[in-house]
Amino acid sequence: MQRIFINKSLCAGCKNCEAACMAEHTTHRSLWLVNLSDPSNKPNNRVALDNSGQPTPIFCQHCDDPACVTACMAGALTKNPETGVVEHNRDKCAGCWMCIMSCPYGMMHTSGVYEDTAAKCDFCAERGTPRCVSSCPTGAITLRTI
Amino acid sequence: MQYVIIGSSAAGISAVSAIRELDPKNSIIMISKDKQIYSRCQLPEIITGERTLKESCFIPANFFEKYRVKWIDDTGVTHINTDAHVVETNNGQKITFDRLLIATGASSFFPPIDNLQKGRQICGLRNIDDALQIVDYAHDMKKAVIIGAGLVGVEAALALNDLGLKVTLVENASHILPLQLDQTAAGNYERLLNEHQINIYTNEIVTKIHLDEKQNVTHVELKSGVILPADLIIVATGITPNIQFLDHVPIKINRGIIVNEKQETSIPNIYAAGDVCASTESFTAKITPTPIWPLAIEQGRIAGTNMAGGNKQRTINFAYKNSMNLFGLSTISYGFTEAPNENYTTHIQFERGSYKKLIIKDGILFGAIFQGDISGAGIYGKLIAEKISINSLPPERLFSISYANFFNQQENGLYRY
Repeated sequence: MQRIFINKSLCAGCKNCEAACMAEHTTHRSLWLVNLSDPSNKPNNRVALDNSGQPTPIFCQHCDDPACVTACMAGALTKNPETGVVEHNRDKCAGCWMCIMSCPYGMMHTSGVYEDTAAKCDFCAERGTPRCVSSCPTGAITLRTI
Repeated sequence: MQYVIIGSSAAGISAVSAIRELDPKNSIIMISKDKQIYSRCQLPEIITGERTLKESCFIPANFFEKYRVKWIDDTGVTHINTDAHVVETNNGQKITFDRLLIATGASSFFPPIDNLQKGRQICGLRNIDDALQIVDYAHDMKKAVIIGAGLVGVEAALALNDLGLKVTLVENASHILPLQLDQTAAGNYERLLNEHQINIYTNEIVTKIHLDEKQNVTHVELKSGVILPADLIIVATGITPNIQFLDHVPIKINRGIIVNEKQETSIPNIYAAGDVCASTESFTAKITPTPIWPLAIEQGRIAGTNMAGGNKQRTINFAYKNSMNLFGLSTISYGFTEAPNENYTTHIQFERGSYKKLIIKDGILFGAIFQGDISGAGIYGKLIAEKISINSLPPERLFSISYANFFNQQENGLYRY
């Protein structure tokens, strides 16, 4: 499987990865059209500051033993054995938030203030490379096969 | 080698896949009273009709074929002969096992209230039969009283309110959801319930159920003397493990089947997992039932692995975590809801309609409540479950701790703390 690797010392905190994720998860997929303050479209990744104030991009790692999948009482979260991607089926999701309660890295979130399902990184299922990775101008985020 | 699993909910199902990871060959027999696989967390949605029973199934349709499990459904277990390694069923079958998992779950606990066992329209809310019975009654009923305002009681209240019944909740603590929330967070839900015409009596106890000559429920009497008209009663005052069939089995039980870190019971080759067992809970360090879904899955997986010859032990067995989404207001909480004494400090933040509360002692988090904005709550759950120090963190970021504060990516790309 592939996993996103982070070199936080290269991160400039530009949040291009967040904007790219937001654009990718709209119908138009356009960075020019995406409304960056739309509360119902939250990025699945985030850039946060570490203890010394260094911006640090954080992504779902599609864990080998995902706590979100263990917590999901609806069968909406599953780990794809072929791709390694932890997939979320919104139709099955009951919006109970047990995945948010359980992810130790804070990578599960609500899909928006008016929607009652959870959301997470889908590894940009329809693209070869997740858009956050291809949008990073500094090389802080890279993709590796493990 | 033959594996037998009693129970087909979270723990039993997760044991199956764990066994199959190590043992693709030997036979697995699952025995259950249930005729369908369903998520009991979704019973309120089944009552309101938001979801069908089929839609609440939490495993893929081909699960039993894929994992080659022989499923004996609609069947209860009446006895286990631990010498002969035989499980006896209520329809006369005798099934031998080499390794047995007891994952029979729990049922609604009916407290000793006058007439509670006698009245007709009185239900728990634990099994699909309870939910279907409630749906059946709800057609003709107008007034429901729910005894107990924990998560099950409050969700039942919402569901019945949705169906058009006049609902009253009775709770003996000073606020609803007393195990999950503090007064402030619970108060926000109490307001929402009241806005939806759901009545709440707190600091109250049901002392008697009034019945007519045909044992139909007519009224509920409270300690204060209040008499509430009712034609349907839901009992949501906790659960009791399904262990009746173990009456003559020499297995160690104390509020549940006692298990060690490997989910082994006191009898060799017999395991237990999920709501039926009592294990050392990591927040309290006490042996208690841990009746939450994620732990049932986890314990089932550990039992299954060990049954199939693996060696897996529970590490964190943290049951003090809750999440809810009621009337569109979300809350996640962990650990204590109130500081137990003056050695703990309480930090509270009200911001943009959200309420957040943290309870800290010596740089270790012991409790957290997130209401409204729940994003990133899982980090706090990890810190509380594993007592990870936050002393080195900038204090002004107490309410915005993220994984960036602990960032540590390993060579395989996985994170660790």
